[in-house]
Amino acid sequence: MNLLTLFLSALLINNVILSKFIGMCPFMGVSTKLSSAVGMGVAVIFVIFGASVLSWALYYYCLVPLGLEYMKLICFILLIAAFVQFVEMFIKKNSPSLYKSLGIYLPLITTNCAVLYVALDNISQGYNFIETLVNSIAVPAGFMLVLVIFATIRERLAGSDTPEAWKGNPIAFVVAAIMAIAFSAFAGLV
Amino acid sequence: MNVIVAILIAAALLGLNAWLYVANKNTPVPEGCESLKPDCAGCGITDCAVRIRQNDREENE
Repeated sequence: MNLLTLFLSALLINNVILSKFIGMCPFMGVSTKLSSAVGMGVAVIFVIFGASVLSWALYYYCLVPLGLEYMKLICFILLIAAFVQFVEMFIKKNSPSLYKSLGIYLPLITTNCAVLYVALDNISQGYNFIETLVNSIAVPAGFMLVLVIFATIRERLAGSDTPEAWKGNPIAFVVAAIMAIAFSAFAGLV
Repeated sequence: MNVIVAILIAAALLGLNAWLYVANKNTPVPEGCESLKPDCAGCGITDCAVRIRQNDREENE
């Protein structure tokens, strides 16, 4: 598969939030403030990329040779949890400034189903290593893109004259639906 | 034989997880980040560990 096509497809057309409805929890939860959304987005890119590459290597260099492909789900869950712990510890020791900006969000990402989705998707689509790298960057980048756009809209919504019954999550869901419709137009791009 | 290998792999990953969890917990928080407060006002997830820890800290104070 063309790598650019794969990148655009994962970023815009098959967007993990608006097309697959995965990672809705942080999408609705951490999108009321732009600064929180950016922090969460960067942390998600960092974790998904690392966890997906490690999961791919574990699957093809350990589980497949041993004939243990059915173990991929439990192995990936444990690997992701361990990776997040490791990243948090590494950042604590080596980069206090990075810990200041990302440290708060790291524990939240362990429970983000988008991380597991990317790891499993790379395997089920049969991607090679390069395609895995591209997909593992494009999916979280799409997540961050939508999260940041949504946060900016919600910040403006907070100051707008919304009818009482629509305030908060109801109007946020309507905005998300309109965004999903808008993003579906990207299907003609590739 | 295959089942034993599967159990060993799962146990190894579980052990790695437990070890990293303990090591992470024992790693001191860098200087200047001790009182890092999450921006819970900008987040709607009410049952996350960060928010619960923050609430406990505020209650103790």
